Amino acid sequence: MTQYFAGIDIGSTMTKVVIMDSGIISSIIGPTGPEQRRLANKVMEKALNEVDLPFEAITYVVATGYGRINVPFADKQITEISCHAKGVAHFFPEVKTIIDIGGQDCKGIRIDNGKPVDFVMNDKCAAGTGRFLEIIADALGIKIEEMGEIGLEGNHPAKISNICTVFAEQEVVARLAEGVSLHNLVAGILESLANRVSRMVNRLHVAEEVVVTGGGAKNVGLVKALSDKLGYTVAVPPEPLLTGAVGAALLGKDIADKTLKDGVSLETKERSLKEIKIF
Amino acid sequence: MAEEEKKEVRKKRRTATKAAASIGPMVKESIGGTIRAKQEGKKLAYTFIVCLYDEILSVMDIVPVWTENYAGVCGAKRDAERFLERAESLGFSRSLCTYALCGLGFDQWREKLGEMPPDAPWGGQARPDMMLSSGQILCDPRNKWYQAAQQFMPDVPIYDVGLPYPLYEDDIEVADVQDYYIKHITEELRGLVTFLEKQTGKKMDYDRLSEFVDLGERTWNMIWETYELRRAVPTPMGTGDAMNTMVPMVFMMGTQQCYDFYLALNKELQDKIARKEGVVEDEKYRLLWGGGLPSWFALTDFNYFNSKGAVFPVETTYRMIEPIYRLNIPDTNDPIERLAWRWFGYWTYWYDKAKKRPGSEPDVERLIQYIEDYQIDGVVMHEAFSCRTWHLGLIWQLNQLRKIYKPIPVLILGKDGEKTKGKRELPSLILESDIIDISSYSEVDTRNRIDAFIETLEQTKKNKV
Repeated sequence: MTQYFAGIDIGSTMTKVVIMDSGIISSIIGPTGPEQRRLANKVMEKALNEVDLPFEAITYVVATGYGRINVPFADKQITEISCHAKGVAHFFPEVKTIIDIGGQDCKGIRIDNGKPVDFVMNDKCAAGTGRFLEIIADALGIKIEEMGEIGLEGNHPAKISNICTVFAEQEVVARLAEGVSLHNLVAGILESLANRVSRMVNRLHVAEEVVVTGGGAKNVGLVKALSDKLGYTVAVPPEPLLTGAVGAALLGKDIADKTLKDGVSLETKERSLKEIKIF
Repeated sequence: MAEEEKKEVRKKRRTATKAAASIGPMVKESIGGTIRAKQEGKKLAYTFIVCLYDEILSVMDIVPVWTENYAGVCGAKRDAERFLERAESLGFSRSLCTYALCGLGFDQWREKLGEMPPDAPWGGQARPDMMLSSGQILCDPRNKWYQAAQQFMPDVPIYDVGLPYPLYEDDIEVADVQDYYIKHITEELRGLVTFLEKQTGKKMDYDRLSEFVDLGERTWNMIWETYELRRAVPTPMGTGDAMNTMVPMVFMMGTQQCYDFYLALNKELQDKIARKEGVVEDEKYRLLWGGGLPSWFALTDFNYFNSKGAVFPVETTYRMIEPIYRLNIPDTNDPIERLAWRWFGYWTYWYDKAKKRPGSEPDVERLIQYIEDYQIDGVVMHEAFSCRTWHLGLIWQLNQLRKIYKPIPVLILGKDGEKTKGKRELPSLILESDIIDISSYSEVDTRNRIDAFIETLEQTKKNKV
């Protein structure tokens, strides 16, 4: 009988769900939002509907991300550090350094033999996260999705001296008024973000292979700036937002396999997609 | 759906030892004692912990008011914010030491009112008759805090005691410079005695001081022997408790009450070890608190570590003693000189050891010694943003430790798919917050980091060859 495993990654900005058998058979990416976080069950239902599976068919569910405690139907909660490590090592078995640039935080993970052995996190400040890019894109009147391509065309990146997101926003507007081109301004912003991220992850003694995940990995300009700054080629998974959820599902499979091997029964929650009552 | 409102309920902190549980009332009594002493007309002195002259104050019957302690109490009671805000509104930057800011905010308020600020934690901090600064080279508020406070209390004199020690350099022999330092420290202490004699109108009783210094030295040995009991597996006491049991060490040195406290703790730990009673039932990970003052408002984080099977058998923070018999204190009948030698010996204690390991430094050597003695699986540090004294050094120490000390045997997967034997550094975690500024703290983020660290420890254990 086919076994199915689900990983649900509730990040600060995006919620990701993956259902796997031997590979990914269904995946959903959507905004988290205050309501969505309460309704993790709806996201799971949507992912199940895509492949016409009842929830009871799922052998094991692992929740990860900041909102992992708000997933009452998950059999286990595992931090995003372990899940990203597992998910990325699935796609890149030789990975040594993971940089995850999320919506409201940024992480660096050092990997040995596919397992996380050290990590650093910035969860204190919007600078160095996707939120920084969102605010700057708004200030410049461009879409965040366009920033990477625009930045790549900037040959003389503007120097952005402010680390604080709020002040950087003011600085960008002022530089624009001075006549700095949009391309160079965006290139400067991406360079400033790459500097901040690399400063943090350098604490881990970055080693190849370096893989970037999270929303930031979708920004080609940022990935290039990061690669230039670190001095390493930087790889990006096929869907960089999903690695945490993939890792969660794979860790669920590991748990199920181990219980089978040890001859003990797998402890799971009641298979019910109820709404969370208190949030 | 009917939404239920979640009410914030702060869990009471659990301590593993009765000794640690007894500290809260002891501190409360001590603070209340300073207020009573003031009413009785005794002389009060603002002062700092680890000041070396504890015994001198006791003999001169001067009541110390530990200003860092009072700020910590405000933090632990989550009532520091109004004093911090007050200091900020007076023009002091929030990025200064928040102990100092809290104290300055409190002092200005008390002086303006002519009485304690409303609902001051544990009755408030009594007005001093003098302020004793004591520089320790690295911590600037130990000199500057009271200078700033003097603008609210211009009639209160300050005496600044300089207590230097030689910074480590691997090509300098401590023995070559020690006489100069001892002479300097001794003169500083004699200057303090003269100042105190003038303030109190009493002469120093050197015989009595000798007795107090004797007791202080015996207490140092007792604390060291007691804390070393925590090497036991499972450990009978963690750093969470040590953040309490440091109180007699830093506020009552040279008193019988201090000695008796550690004697009782020693017995309590021995009893727990005999019963194999650990901090947690199933001890999985042994961690070193490698530095940084704690967040006084979040000491329950130690309980959170415990809930994951992690314990802290040892810490560098507030372990401000070494065994006296290893400090090479020469025979002398002069209690002031003995104090000077104690100070010098303490601060240079790890210097010779550091010289023997290339790339090491005394603080790093101390970490390594604790890691080995206490069978440590990982290192946790706390970067308190407002404590510049430690902030810089901690990150550096951790980087050096990683560089020169890799105790975990592992198999490393190469690009060719072959596994080769190698060694890895210990996993480490840096927590980021402050000592008393709660606005810098997020329980969710902190515990997310702790969760991730515990998973890292688990993986490291699995990877170990």
